[in-house]
Amino acid sequence: MRLALGYVPLVDAAALIVAVEGGFAAEEGLRIDLVRESSWATLRDKLALGLLDGAHMLAPLAIASALGISGPETRLAVPLGLNLNGNAVTVSRPLWSAMDPGSEDLDIVARAFGRVARDRAGQGRPLTLGTVHPFSSHTYQLELFAARGGLDLEAAVRMVVIPPPRIAEALQAGHIDGFCVGSPWNGLAVEAGYGRIAAFGCEIAPDCPEKVLALPADAAAASVGLVRAVSRAGRWCADPRNHDDLALLLASPHHLGIAPALVRRALAGTVVVDADGTRREAPDFVSFGVAVERPRIAQVDWFLERMAAAGQITLTPALTERARALYRPDLYDGAIG
Amino acid sequence: MTEPSLTVAVIDPSPARAAILEEGLAAAGIARVVILPDTADLSARVAALNPDVVVIHVESPSRDILEQMSGLSRHVERPVAMFVDRSDVPMMQAAVDAGISAYVVDGLHPQRIRSILDVAILRFNAFARLQRELLEARGELADRKLIERAKGILMTAKGMPEEEAYRLMRRKAMNEKRKIADIARAIVTAADLLG
Repeated sequence: MRLALGYVPLVDAAALIVAVEGGFAAEEGLRIDLVRESSWATLRDKLALGLLDGAHMLAPLAIASALGISGPETRLAVPLGLNLNGNAVTVSRPLWSAMDPGSEDLDIVARAFGRVARDRAGQGRPLTLGTVHPFSSHTYQLELFAARGGLDLEAAVRMVVIPPPRIAEALQAGHIDGFCVGSPWNGLAVEAGYGRIAAFGCEIAPDCPEKVLALPADAAAASVGLVRAVSRAGRWCADPRNHDDLALLLASPHHLGIAPALVRRALAGTVVVDADGTRREAPDFVSFGVAVERPRIAQVDWFLERMAAAGQITLTPALTERARALYRPDLYDGAIG
Repeated sequence: MTEPSLTVAVIDPSPARAAILEEGLAAAGIARVVILPDTADLSARVAALNPDVVVIHVESPSRDILEQMSGLSRHVERPVAMFVDRSDVPMMQAAVDAGISAYVVDGLHPQRIRSILDVAILRFNAFARLQRELLEARGELADRKLIERAKGILMTAKGMPEEEAYRLMRRKAMNEKRKIADIARAIVTAADLLG
């Protein structure tokens, strides 16, 4: 069977990429064409129109697509989670100087951010923060980060979406004061000298579900081989002994096209947070493998709560039921069992 | 179609394609067509222009920017929505196939959007066809040069006239069910290695 699977070039597409390039899919008798997409919107639409047979997808975007609140309503199934965590909040160097938290402690950093954001809003010059898509854990992590600093994000800050490849440019030009994005983009902004990593996603929301494997619902039952291949690839990605090879593969020009060292650091959870080379350790910075794979209904509920808090949906029992139906732990158990 | 009251923004990583679309929409009677550069401050530019319709290439990473402006944020004064006519999947399919996505201001009549999308799809498909023809023409030219070189090599090596050298390559290609340019490439490569 030949399948076209879409992905956005990010470290957390690792399990999908390894499933194909590491031969796990071939062992299941699958021929897979990986299709690199430059926006989540296009990936979602192509999946909706049947131009893709599956995709690496922002978990909340898969939910929004299934509910018909982002793009056309699409019958999808999520048989497997690809990773937990991987995001970070990065601020511009001027903003970090103004915050001057004098600590890496999340509460202290968040309060310092809240103070500056309130000051700026009071002066009629609100801060602008970037996220990757309205329906993303990034959006919700920014809101949780702000809330931790006693700030109502929506009230005090201007939110924009910024395509990750434009982040450095936007920070440098002052179009944004900070952003939340996945690996390797925070590291790149630090490396380029424009950004300071203020907080890790895994601190703001521990074990935050991030990307999922999304399939058309009517093809999901026949996806046993694919689920098995991606699962085995995910376990391979989780093994630190493979991280050098994985970093080289992901960094190559036809995937992420960046320096392997940046990927390597994200995988190891040893993150350089500023231009002086200050390192912080976070073993859960991005997690793959058996512990993250089984899709859990509680994850859907958590996202629905966040969506409602962000004013994107109004929760009703019927909507909750439709959203929950997207996650298919039964398919995972059937394939991996 | 004459739409003197509409402003259409065009966002496309290819300036040539954007220009072709601009011309097409203008010819169709759209009063104001503005090409917006696909840069980091696109969000502010769209907000300032306040267009009724945004036509954006599907391969532009800026599509996600427009998603944020689509009424999900309380800061957007004039929200745009992705144009999805649920009753018309083939239309959306044709648009995505042609490389187009459209966002419209809430409340604009679907029929007006359709005609704009029709023009865009026609123009984009025409552009793709031209590009393909150009690529093929370039490929043919390269093949011809390769065949000329291989012919010269054979003529020198085997002391045969031009016509016979060509016949030899053609027979080889036909027997092996390959293109004559492939045979020529093999000869040139071999000559490079041996010479």
